[in-house]
Amino acid sequence: MIRVAIGRLLSALPVLLIVSLISFGLMRLIPGDPAAAIAGISATPAQLAQLRVDLGLDQPLLVQLLRYYEGLVQGDLGRSLLLGKGVFAATMERLPVTIGLSLYALVITLLIGLAAGIIAALRQNSIVDQAAMMFAMIGISVPSFFLGLVMIIVFGVHLGWLPTGGYIPFSQDPLGWLSSSTMPAISLALLQAGLLARITRSSMLEVLRQDYIRTARAKGLPMRQVILKHALANALIPIVTVVGIIVTLLVSGAVVTEALFSLPGMGQLLTQAVLNRDYPMVQGGLLLVTTFLVMVNILVDVLYAALDPRVRYE
Amino acid sequence: MKRSFLASSLIAAAFALPAAPAMATPFQCPTRGGDLVFGQEANVNSLDQMTSSTISTRNIAMNIFETLMTRDENNNPILELAEAMEEGADGLSYTFKLRHGIVFHNGKPMTSADVAASFDRYKRIGLQRSTLDNVAGWDTPDPFTFIIRMSRVQPTFIEALSSFSVPIVIVPAEMKDDERQQLRTIGTGPFKLLEFVPGSHAKLGRYDGYQPNTAFEQRTGFGGYRVACLDTVTFRIVTEASARVAGLETGELQGVEDVPTRSLASLRSNSNITILPLQNWWIQIALPNTATPPTSNLAFRRAVQAALGMEDIMDAATDGNYRLNVGFQYPNQPTYTDAGKETYNINNAARARTLLRESGYRGEPIVILTNRDYPAMYNAALVMQQQMQAVGINASLRVVDWPTSVQMSQQVNSTEWHFFHSGWGTQPALGALATMQFLVSPGANYRPRDDKDDPDVLAAWNDMNNLRSEAERNAAYARMQTLVLERAYAYPFGALTKVQATRATVQNFVPFRIPRFSNVSMTR
Amino acid sequence: MSELAAEDFAPQRVHPARATLKRLFHHRLFVTGLALFGVIAIIAALAPWITDVDPNRLSMRNKFLSPNGDWVFGTDNFGRSLWSRTVWGAQLSMIIGASVVALNAVFGTLIGAAAGYFRRLDNMLMRVNDALMAFPAILLAIAVTSVLGPSTLNVILALGIVYIPRTARIVRSSVIVLREMEYVQAAVAAGAGHWRILRHHILPNAMAPMIVQLSFLFAYAVLSEATLSFLGVGAVPPTPTWGNIMAEGRDYMRDAPWIITIPGIALMITVMGLNLLGDGLRDVLDPRLRIQQ
Repeated sequence: MIRVAIGRLLSALPVLLIVSLISFGLMRLIPGDPAAAIAGISATPAQLAQLRVDLGLDQPLLVQLLRYYEGLVQGDLGRSLLLGKGVFAATMERLPVTIGLSLYALVITLLIGLAAGIIAALRQNSIVDQAAMMFAMIGISVPSFFLGLVMIIVFGVHLGWLPTGGYIPFSQDPLGWLSSSTMPAISLALLQAGLLARITRSSMLEVLRQDYIRTARAKGLPMRQVILKHALANALIPIVTVVGIIVTLLVSGAVVTEALFSLPGMGQLLTQAVLNRDYPMVQGGLLLVTTFLVMVNILVDVLYAALDPRVRYE
Repeated sequence: MKRSFLASSLIAAAFALPAAPAMATPFQCPTRGGDLVFGQEANVNSLDQMTSSTISTRNIAMNIFETLMTRDENNNPILELAEAMEEGADGLSYTFKLRHGIVFHNGKPMTSADVAASFDRYKRIGLQRSTLDNVAGWDTPDPFTFIIRMSRVQPTFIEALSSFSVPIVIVPAEMKDDERQQLRTIGTGPFKLLEFVPGSHAKLGRYDGYQPNTAFEQRTGFGGYRVACLDTVTFRIVTEASARVAGLETGELQGVEDVPTRSLASLRSNSNITILPLQNWWIQIALPNTATPPTSNLAFRRAVQAALGMEDIMDAATDGNYRLNVGFQYPNQPTYTDAGKETYNINNAARARTLLRESGYRGEPIVILTNRDYPAMYNAALVMQQQMQAVGINASLRVVDWPTSVQMSQQVNSTEWHFFHSGWGTQPALGALATMQFLVSPGANYRPRDDKDDPDVLAAWNDMNNLRSEAERNAAYARMQTLVLERAYAYPFGALTKVQATRATVQNFVPFRIPRFSNVSMTR
Repeated sequence: MSELAAEDFAPQRVHPARATLKRLFHHRLFVTGLALFGVIAIIAALAPWITDVDPNRLSMRNKFLSPNGDWVFGTDNFGRSLWSRTVWGAQLSMIIGASVVALNAVFGTLIGAAAGYFRRLDNMLMRVNDALMAFPAILLAIAVTSVLGPSTLNVILALGIVYIPRTARIVRSSVIVLREMEYVQAAVAAGAGHWRILRHHILPNAMAPMIVQLSFLFAYAVLSEATLSFLGVGAVPPTPTWGNIMAEGRDYMRDAPWIITIPGIALMITVMGLNLLGDGLRDVLDPRLRIQQ
């Protein structure tokens, strides 16, 4: 297992190198003037010219690339043009928001997805099964931004039950955090919950068909025990994979959700950075996020190896 | 000739508040306390008022920081942290007497050393440091005297110095070396910063050590007699317009900016809510590219001018909340003139077609450059396209984002676009001088070929800057506006109204270029 | 992960077309999906005949009309007909979805087959592939469309760049397994060329998972295009894509909710139809393939 982990970590290095090159290149190719983005609508041409000089945007590309890698080697991700502070510091400021939101969404996903999937499998082809799968199908078909908008209209604007946007840190006011995060978390979780419900159902069905389950049931073990001890344990293998995928999707989905609900998370930070041509922030931020996602995938692979002894990596 | 500003600032104050009795006592809070939450539309990245030109920064920072000179309600220069200012007889020095008893939010008293250090920082990294181009240096003969020495006479210096575009805010001397965008948020204003979470909110609290400016009796513009009545003010970033309105209705927010016109009807019928239109928020405008045909051709530009119907354009841009307006200033401003008004809102298809034939236009594709970051610009461009098509111009839209459109519009001799859509907000509010810089090199928005200005326009601009008497400078402005309009170097469509709104419990909130929270109170 | 999926992946006889079709048309999910998707596709195809107003024609006098007898879906803030815009939007969604699928079918297969078949290429191709997949999909798409500039074609290219690595990965896993099969090895021993082996022995058997993947991909493409347009980096406005209509209606959702609701529902029906279609295809063509990214 440790060998699996080390092997995967080593193979991740070239991937991250390519990631850093792609994000560097992409940003330089984007047309548009960072000064115009940063200075805003009310800036005069003279102010823009001043800002361009201040930002040092006149260096040759190769020099900028070498500077970037020189910084990376020293553990320096650079300084955001827009915020004026270090990329790492800016990321750390925003990360708790995204992590909190993603965890909340993950909890909703796991609760709804697993429950719906297991119940549907146990009552295969019943009304309950069909209802659960219908729900899952809607879940994977509704665009999260549309769901978010509808929720804002219904629960925020018309019923006034939940705040329509804005963020309250958990550390400041746990209840406030819960109310400000509930709509974003639901709009983020529904797709993944649908996905998970479908996978859980089919994995469970597969396992329930296996001989040892039939044997266990034939021996008169209580249904509950059979499900929890045997069926679920074995169904967990593909489910772990899906949870890995879900974490990736949550981070991606947070980009849209945070924009919609004006939450100050990583997704907003990076989207704003791209739209404002904040080169260092995009390069550094993307590198951090992809590193995180690659790590999640490695973790999933290692867990996978631990759960299923048949898996051997070359 | 010595001119004293102390006297004129008092006159300005009296002008601003004609209703106030001559010897009335200064403003007093009807109630104290309360926490106000304001829904702001745009994100704030930094509160460094010296290096940021964005409106969103100013919204918050101008409640925290103060300057030597600022502008009153009618945009006249007034003193803020100084009690007197004298211009030298030769026009080569300005001597400021600082107010006594001013204490920064960190408890340190303000002296001329702090003012000098603030000017030092501004000279080093201030975004509008060209303001100080004609300044030779500054002296601090004593703790309450600050002298600016000029290298040459600049009749418009006070106008530039008092500008709130990127103001020279006064901060403690030890912040002199703070990096760009990293100015520590310590000022002398009625509110101090309690908490700032970029992308989320900024929370301000009443500063109990604040010294109101007793030269005034009421708040005026960015200055005047100011006092914080509220305990705290929280600026919350709520980018979704519908969410801001909903927040106001539920009482989650006590004030919001930029209310969509569509929501006004239902808000007006809500007795818990006060609607506060802020007229003349910006001039909706399009600029031609005169470096490339056919927009390099005066007859073609005039044809487009004749084709435009401003009611439809402004209606689309604002959903109906606008005022037709000629030129680059508003009627309530001292320099306003409707010179060149015969070029405005012609809306005459026959005349447009005649001019079009005259220009020799043969259906070449015309590109209207706009963006969707500012919906008003996109909407105006869409209607402009339709009006141009209606007279037989093959017009198409090129929608990019704001940074790209600015970059494209500033390329010298570009052939990629013909009309660039923009909105001029801060500069028209600052006055004719600040606005007309958009029409001369290096930043001439109509992009003359090789950046060579129209010599007549340039001559008028130089007069606007260099003539010693104000009346002559204003006349020069009228000449310049006429030239720009007659030669169709700009198509100002009209004045856009931005609507703010508060809960009815909020008292004395008067819309201005920023939401001002001094002298604002809340009833329970 | 994919190695495992490939491990117990057995070669399948190519289904005789008629039998497969018959099974498909008896599959309830497939038929439901086909019906939903079909309705939208037909409306999209008939767009020029079933709309009488140019979707981009402004009519300021008719703005903000809620759905009524004259304006079936109402009008937006420019008085444009939302029926026209939504119907033409359907056409654009179909074109974008189909183009992204076509790009994936060609380049995903090429890259996946090359990586799976030629071991020497595998490492290099898959590292680049992994790197592209490591980016959060929507951010990569935003960055790519920002580079290329907003246009319908560029949205297609951006979504291609985002999704081709995922398709390539699926093709590669199938090819790796198939390459080791006895009948393929026999063909190699008999001296058949690489191209011939790929074309006749490997790719036909790798088709099933591909087709299933592509049907889901169609759904993602439609969804992603709407999301990109909604975020303001998609097809250039006023192009009537569903995402654009919703983005423009966003400021009016409180007072004119129909502007965003109608294209939203159309989008949902399309995506759901495609997902059901994909489920059906998967059940019939490739029952072992379960995990869809």
